[in-house]
Parts: sequence; C-alpha cells; structure tokens
Amino acid sequence: MEINKKIIYGIDFLIIVGSLITLIVMFGYARPLVIGPIDNYNTTNNSVLFTFEKGKAILLDDNIEFSSPQRIFVENYLVLHLEPGKYYWKIEGALPSTVRTLTINSIVDLKLRKIEGGKEEYEVVNAGNTQLDVDIYHNDNLNRTLVLDIDESKQVSGEAFVGRQNG
Amino acid sequence: MDSMFNILSLQNKIKNSRRESRIINALLILLMVIFAFVIGSAQISALGITPGRININYEEGKEVSGGITIVNTENKDIDVVIIAQGEFNQSVKFSEVSFKMKSSEREKRIQYTFNMPSQLSPGPHIGEILAVQVPSKTSGGETSVGATVAVATQIHVFVPYPNKYAEASLDIVSDNLGKITFVIPVINRGKLDLVRVRANIDIYGNLNEKVDSFNTNQVEIKSGERREIAYTWNSNVTSGRYRAVATVLYDEETLRLEREFSVGKPILDLQQIEVNDFTLGEIAKFEMLVENQWSEEIKGAYAEMEIYNPKNEVMADIKSQTYDFSPLSKKTMVSYWDTGGVKKGIYDSSVYLRYGAQSTQKDFKLDVKEDSITAIGVGYVISAKTKSGSSTTTILLIGIVVLILINLGWFLVLRKYMHKKK
Repeated sequence: MEINKKIIYGIDFLIIVGSLITLIVMFGYARPLVIGPIDNYNTTNNSVLFTFEKGKAILLDDNIEFSSPQRIFVENYLVLHLEPGKYYWKIEGALPSTVRTLTINSIVDLKLRKIEGGKEEYEVVNAGNTQLDVDIYHNDNLNRTLVLDIDESKQVSGEAFVGRQNG
Repeated sequence: MDSMFNILSLQNKIKNSRRESRIINALLILLMVIFAFVIGSAQISALGITPGRININYEEGKEVSGGITIVNTENKDIDVVIIAQGEFNQSVKFSEVSFKMKSSEREKRIQYTFNMPSQLSPGPHIGEILAVQVPSKTSGGETSVGATVAVATQIHVFVPYPNKYAEASLDIVSDNLGKITFVIPVINRGKLDLVRVRANIDIYGNLNEKVDSFNTNQVEIKSGERREIAYTWNSNVTSGRYRAVATVLYDEETLRLEREFSVGKPILDLQQIEVNDFTLGEIAKFEMLVENQWSEEIKGAYAEMEIYNPKNEVMADIKSQTYDFSPLSKKTMVSYWDTGGVKKGIYDSSVYLRYGAQSTQKDFKLDVKEDSITAIGVGYVISAKTKSGSSTTTILLIGIVVLILINLGWFLVLRKYMHKKK
C-alpha cells in the first residue's frame, strides 16, 4: 500500500518537475536569440547592424513602452540607418526578446578645405551625422549662418567657422 | 677585340644611365606624390565634437558632470582650446582648457562640471561648450589653412513653468495595410504632474467635412517626463489628402494640433494593353489603359516600356508622351514600337508608369506574331513577407499541448485508475 502511494507521488513529482523543465527549455528555445548590438550600445555611427536568430521582426521605438514602434520584418540581420537619439529595441518571434537600448550620439564635425588661388575662400563640409548651423565670421563679425546637411559642402569666404547642431 | 669591348662597355654605360634615369624619375614621382599629399593635407582643417547637444532638466543649484569627446578627424597635430560661452559661460568648468592632440590621437575626452545657476526664468536656456582649433604654423611660419575652425556642444536647460504646461506634436505614421497611427508625444514642461493626458482627434476630408472622430489612450505624465499617446485608425476611406485636428486634453488645459496626411498612395494602375492593326516589321501602336486610383490629380505621368531579347538584353526602350490624370479617372497612354528586324516569338517586357518620384512596374510577356501582338500574364512584382518564426510558434504550441495532455492524462485518468487498483 505504502509503496504504491510512494510510486504515485513519485510519478506526480516527476510529471510536475518534468513539465516545468520542458516548459523552461521550450520557452528558452522559442525566445529569439539577440546577438547585437549589445545592450546600452553607444556610437556616433548612424549605421547599426542588428543580428539575431529565431526572430521575424525588429521593433524599434524612442520609448520603452513601444507606443509607436517601427516594425521591420527581417531575418537574422539588418543594417539600419538611424538618426541620433536613444532607442529601445527588441526582436519579435514566437516570443518577444528582452528589450535593449542603443544610443546614436550626434557628432558635430566640421571640415574646412582651402580653395587654391582664393583669398579666404574655403569649402566647408559637414562631416558629422547631424544637420549643422555654421556661423561664418569675417573681421571678427558674424557675417552669415549656413545650414549644411550631412555630407553637404559649400564654398564660402571667411576667417572663422563655428559649427553646431541645427534645430 | 678592343673595339668589341668598347662597344660592350658603351652598351653597359647606356644601360646603367637608363637605369639611373628610371630610378631618378621614380624618385621624382614619389617626391611629387609626397609633396602633393603634404600640401593637400595642409590645406584641410577639421574638428569634431560629440555629443552635439546635452539636454538637462533644471534643478536650482544642482551640479551636473559629464564628458564630451573632441575628435581629431584629420589625424593631424592640432592645438585645441575649450571655452564655455553663452548663458552658462560662468557655470561650466572643464578638466582641461587647452591641449595638444597628436596625429596618432584620434579622440580626447574632456570632463565638464555644470553648476546650474539660480533663479532662471521658465523656458529654454542655451549655453555652449566650444572647442576651437588654433591655426597651426608650418615650418615656413605660415598658417596651414589660415581660418579658425570651432565646433560646439550645446547645453539645453529647460526650466519648468510654474503650473501645468504641456508641449506636444502630432506624428502620423501609415502602413501598407491601410492602418494609420496618430502619435502625440507630450512633454510635461510644468512643475506639476499631469494626471490625465489624452487627445481627441477629428479627421476632415478634402471638402472640410468631418470623416471620423476618436480618442487616444490616457496617460499620466510626471514633471519633466515625455510620454506618447496614440491611436491606430483603420482608414476605410477613399485614398487622398485628409486633415487631422487633435485636441490634447491635459487635466483642465487643452492644446490644439493640426496636420495634413494622405490615405493610400498616388497609384496609377495599368489595366490593359492593346495593339491594333499590326503587321510585323511596321510600327506597333501600344494602347495602355491606365487608371488613377488616387483621389487627386496626377500630372506629368508617362509610360516607359522595356522589351527584352532572349538573352535578357533590352532590345527596345520606348516612352509615351506625358499625361495628366484627373482624380479617379482612366486614360489611354500611347507609345510606339518600331518592329523592323524583330522576329516572331515571345518576349519578356516591363512597363513602368512614372509620375513624380514614383513609379509602378508591371511585368508581362509579349507574344509577337505576323499580324498581332498580345500581352500575356500581367502581374505586379511584390515582395513576399517573411514567414520566419511560424515554425517555432508551431513547435511551442505542440509542446504545450503535449504537456497539457500528459498532465491531464496522469492526474485525471491514470492516477485515479492506480488508486482504484489499490
């Protein structure tokens, strides 16, 4: 009698524990494997490589609630070109992945190339990742302000050039 | 023998002198390249700074510290000076105010400490951290570029308004399934928390008639926080331009936002291609029936047809004249193909309907016979949506069902049976 009871309780235990282990393994298997970028990734490069397995879409938003996410259907990897800012992202698959963050820092990068033969004539290049306001000074006075898009260049004359993020 | 030796010696001398001149030429070219590189690099001056902007919520007397990175973009030896300017020029201190960067030094991190001044008026306040590249001297004593280059990191400090104050904007995002999401990011710029923030959105058509009206979700926004309220609208309306008027209600206050948006896309649809009165070797007149599925006028549209030979090379590229389509109308676009030298057979073809920056492609085959041309198998090229993930879901579901069955089978059937057996 006692032995039978013990066997039944043993089978109870095996089934409950076995079911729990199987569930954990299955959910672990079904959850997308997020490879990159790493959590809290910081960069000034606008192009970010997303790599993952067992997922079908990247969900990207500027808030952790994902209230208006951008959903990009893709398999395994994709390079996204992102504006500077902080992003929350996760992978959608059979189950959602954990949420990671990444930050694209704006970089103000101003390049000046002297034009041959021109007195104080320069080609001003926005080599950063954000639109620039460029103040141009002549005789210590602000002469004009130029707006330069990313990678845009313009020929101008001046003695001093100050670049700052537009907007 | 002597003369022979002399000739050989002369030949050797000539060979040697040629070799020398080749070496000299190569050296000259190398020197010129190095000179051009040095001159070229001396003519460029560059400097970078990151981040471009630092946003700080105002707290009187609080000290904020952080770092900025100066980037030596051109990898040159440069002298840099760091200056605080603008409203906070007395409030920002740096770990270093001037330094040299060698060509091998790509970046330099500078720490700053910002003491927020007291009694700032409500609203935005802007200061700057300026990195200035001091014009350097060449060995000849002349400046390399001559002009001064400076880049700035802006410090944006927002001082909250005394009471309840919200700032919001209206973003409209549409997908390919006809769903349009209205997103309203709201920033609480006041000192007090906003307990109930929601919006009512009215949609107006072309004739200013109200088409629909709905409410977003409701959220609570603490002072200085930013949150979004949103609504996804199933746009069961004809394609065209609409206007959204959003009234953001935050506690007792309101804020009105307005924005135009489009439902659907301006689409020209190729419905039919006909060639009448055709004889092989003569000019074929293609009549393409095209529908404007957009509820607005499309101007300057034209059709471009490419016909490919069996080697998949373009054997004909023909264009129609331009056409203007009134809203939701159909028109026949005409283009001509000179079939001189063309043999009977089936040819792959594509028609591109081009309008503005857009184009619609339709691929089909042309069955060219002695006295007729027929367009066969018209169909759009569409990208298939990925089905990845569905198999994993199936495995997961099957696994769960099996587990449930095992548990039910044991606890409800087998266990009772074993008890009875006792």
